[in-house]
Amino acid sequence: MARADVAVVGAGLAGLTAAIRLAAGGARVHVLATGHAATHWAPGGIDLGALPGAASSQASIDRLAGIDGHPYAFLAGEVPAALAWLRATMGSAGLDLVGDAADPLRAIPTSIGATRLAAVLPDGMAAALPAWAPDETLVICGPAGFRDFWPAAIAANLRREASWRGQSRPERIEAIAVELPGIAGRHNLSGLDLARLFDEPAWRATALDAMARAIEGRVHGPGRIALPAVLGLDDHPAVLAAARARLPFAPFEVALVPPSLPGLRLFAALRSELRRHGGRLQVGEAVRGTIGADGRVAELRATAAAREFVLTAGSVVLATGGIAGGGIVADRPGSLTETVLGLPVDGPEPGHWLLNDPFDPAGQPLESAGVRTDSRLRPVAPGKPGAPLAGNVRIAGSLLAGQRYLRDRCGDGVAIASGSLAARELAGRPPVASQGSVAAIAGGVG
Amino acid sequence: MTISEIVALAGAVAAAPQPLGPIGLSADECLKCNVCTTVCPVARVTDLFPGPKYVGPQAQRFRLGPDLAPGSGHLSVVQSPDRSIDYCSGCGFCSTACPANVKIAEMNNRARAALRAGRRPRLRDWLLGQTDLTGRVGVLTAPLANWSLRNGAFRALIDLVIRIDRRAPMPRFSSRTLRSRLGGYRRSRWSADAPPADRTVVYFHGCAANYYEPNVGQAAIDVLERNGFTVIVPPQVCCGLPLISNGLYRQARGRARTNIAVLADYARAGYRIVGTSTSCTHTLKAEYREMLDIDDGEARAVAQATWDICEFLLDLHDRGQLDTRFGELDRTLPYHAPCQLRSHGIGLPALDLFELVPGLRAIDMDHDCCGIAGTYGLKSEKYDIAMAVGKPLFDRLRASAEDQVACDSETCRWQIAAATGARLRHPVEFLAEAYEAYLAADA
Repeated sequence: MARADVAVVGAGLAGLTAAIRLAAGGARVHVLATGHAATHWAPGGIDLGALPGAASSQASIDRLAGIDGHPYAFLAGEVPAALAWLRATMGSAGLDLVGDAADPLRAIPTSIGATRLAAVLPDGMAAALPAWAPDETLVICGPAGFRDFWPAAIAANLRREASWRGQSRPERIEAIAVELPGIAGRHNLSGLDLARLFDEPAWRATALDAMARAIEGRVHGPGRIALPAVLGLDDHPAVLAAARARLPFAPFEVALVPPSLPGLRLFAALRSELRRHGGRLQVGEAVRGTIGADGRVAELRATAAAREFVLTAGSVVLATGGIAGGGIVADRPGSLTETVLGLPVDGPEPGHWLLNDPFDPAGQPLESAGVRTDSRLRPVAPGKPGAPLAGNVRIAGSLLAGQRYLRDRCGDGVAIASGSLAARELAGRPPVASQGSVAAIAGGVG
Repeated sequence: MTISEIVALAGAVAAAPQPLGPIGLSADECLKCNVCTTVCPVARVTDLFPGPKYVGPQAQRFRLGPDLAPGSGHLSVVQSPDRSIDYCSGCGFCSTACPANVKIAEMNNRARAALRAGRRPRLRDWLLGQTDLTGRVGVLTAPLANWSLRNGAFRALIDLVIRIDRRAPMPRFSSRTLRSRLGGYRRSRWSADAPPADRTVVYFHGCAANYYEPNVGQAAIDVLERNGFTVIVPPQVCCGLPLISNGLYRQARGRARTNIAVLADYARAGYRIVGTSTSCTHTLKAEYREMLDIDDGEARAVAQATWDICEFLLDLHDRGQLDTRFGELDRTLPYHAPCQLRSHGIGLPALDLFELVPGLRAIDMDHDCCGIAGTYGLKSEKYDIAMAVGKPLFDRLRASAEDQVACDSETCRWQIAAATGARLRHPVEFLAEAYEAYLAADA
């Protein structure tokens, strides 16, 4: 058995935000996660909200906050401070975040040659944000033979005006595939492999040299360079600095299919911050708990090699993700289950979960499924908000009902805002009972 | 089409041998997200291993083919598409990181065994699997055996002939086995006259404590006795993990059956089985079922009664039953959590126990794998890979001023000691030392 003041379930952005902020405040924090996903899948960048036609993330947040039942209805005010905290935390790991909620949402290229709207990006991606000057050339440059980034295909798609969502766009787009040393014939080459190669100073210098020469021979005049997001993993700031120094134009990384290097860097920085504050992170098995007759969750159980692993905790943050992250599963036709505590799930009626067109701009209704909470993130029964179902539990991230995190691109904002609020809610609560006096933690609900 | 659908269409479910059980079929849950590849220590350092996803859930569909028996009409498992799976070290991180609960490591271990099935095992792999046999011979001939294993010419010959790397770390054989030193202890199978189960522990010493590091076994026994337990050491053989790792499943089942036959009687009578080798205890808990398909009531009783020593002591502490009168150990202690320990899913109990010792400042080195992975890093073609996997850990330990390091697994201890020159000890040795320090201060 292990003990913690706060048990956090889920190691994505919401769970780690709550865990770090609690641990920084002196709480003994233990994070349990089934596996890695949210950070490792995320394209990089902090999506606070990107509604079509909205001028900025802030405008999107304000509109979403007006929707009854959207988490921003009570979390919108948390976003600025939470973003400032994340910016400082990432910055201390050498990973600066550029852009703010009030900045215009810009169409930035994706690795398939479409664009997505973004405003807050890691430094390495940020050169994609400024509006394009009329004489600028966009150079799409990647390693020849790398399956996850095809410069010619990306350029062909980006040359279509419709790709740019009515925003300014580069006048010329050039595709350049460069032979890089030592990767010919490596059919399984992933972005991760390339990032590790870029971490090696000697390889990095040769590769950047080859790219610079290829670009300099083809493109003259002002421009920017889109590169696959493989500019290092452990040593990203140094790789980025070297790329800026050697390449003829400002480079920016374009997110690839998972595993996402910007996401891995974000995870590494948060994990390291959690450890610095003494928090534990344990990954691997399914987590379950029950709400006791006193309306509290006293312990969590994780499947382990033979017996269950038991974590006794004073309070619990559930940040297990929504239907896409595994916090909610559709285990029977028409039935949605919250996986850890079996909390009631508020979602669309059976039969109305999905639209026939997987890419329908309206998004898939099922993504709004989640757990209802009061404004203090305590779970409540859907439809009849009353007493919290579990007084020492807080819900954070995409598990919160009522958001369309994929369609509205509000997932990261909800994650950091709810993670921060959960941490504030649970900070300074009575610590977990010391050994031999578990019964003494009664009371203190809410 | 999913693998389950292919199997169902062929009507072969009932006839399907392993790897088409729940482990093999979990490949259907794979989203191809490559999270497993990000945590693979081997893929991190070599191109010879393309990563757990490629050789696991992705290759799994190619392992289905017409049964080799003519006219059987069934699907069964055929060979992996290539031999790169042989470079999997079996550390298990892929399975823990998977968000979809695909049993990647377990699937790959079975596929590795399938790759070797039906052929004569390499002499080297056979030999590395027989830790109890080599242990017995080594103890009997300890001076000669230890001299030979440290003789450059002999090691070069072994490297050349059977491909055990000349630079690979080799433990020293003890001149006496732990069991022979425990003459006064109960060493028999369960019978009605055994001491009461609630204050008695069955100690599974494994090969390491018996043949190489009896001091670890003695420390565990001292700590258990200090807490009022009677310790018994019933007959036991190698847990079988080295055999499993080297693809020798049939022999491994024999070892498992022998151990289960003895231990199940104790387990059913309510005794707890405690081990100091974290890979042995994990084998008793999980690998008999997951790898060897031994899943009867006896095997389950043994699995559920088995504890890693630190897990057991921390559980005692949670119940308020651990003697916490530890003396001061004024030292900073780097700690490496072995990959097999993490497969237990029990957290890092050694770190929690170290917090109870005054003056002891344990530091989790937070490195994935030292590289050795049991017998993996001993092999000539894998030695350099193993050293590259452990290099960041070795570099940091060499840079630190600390001369002692704690680690729960013997093969990791030998690897790290050889690479860094530090003295590697089991966590329970520090606890035993802290109890001694208390007694000395008290005297």
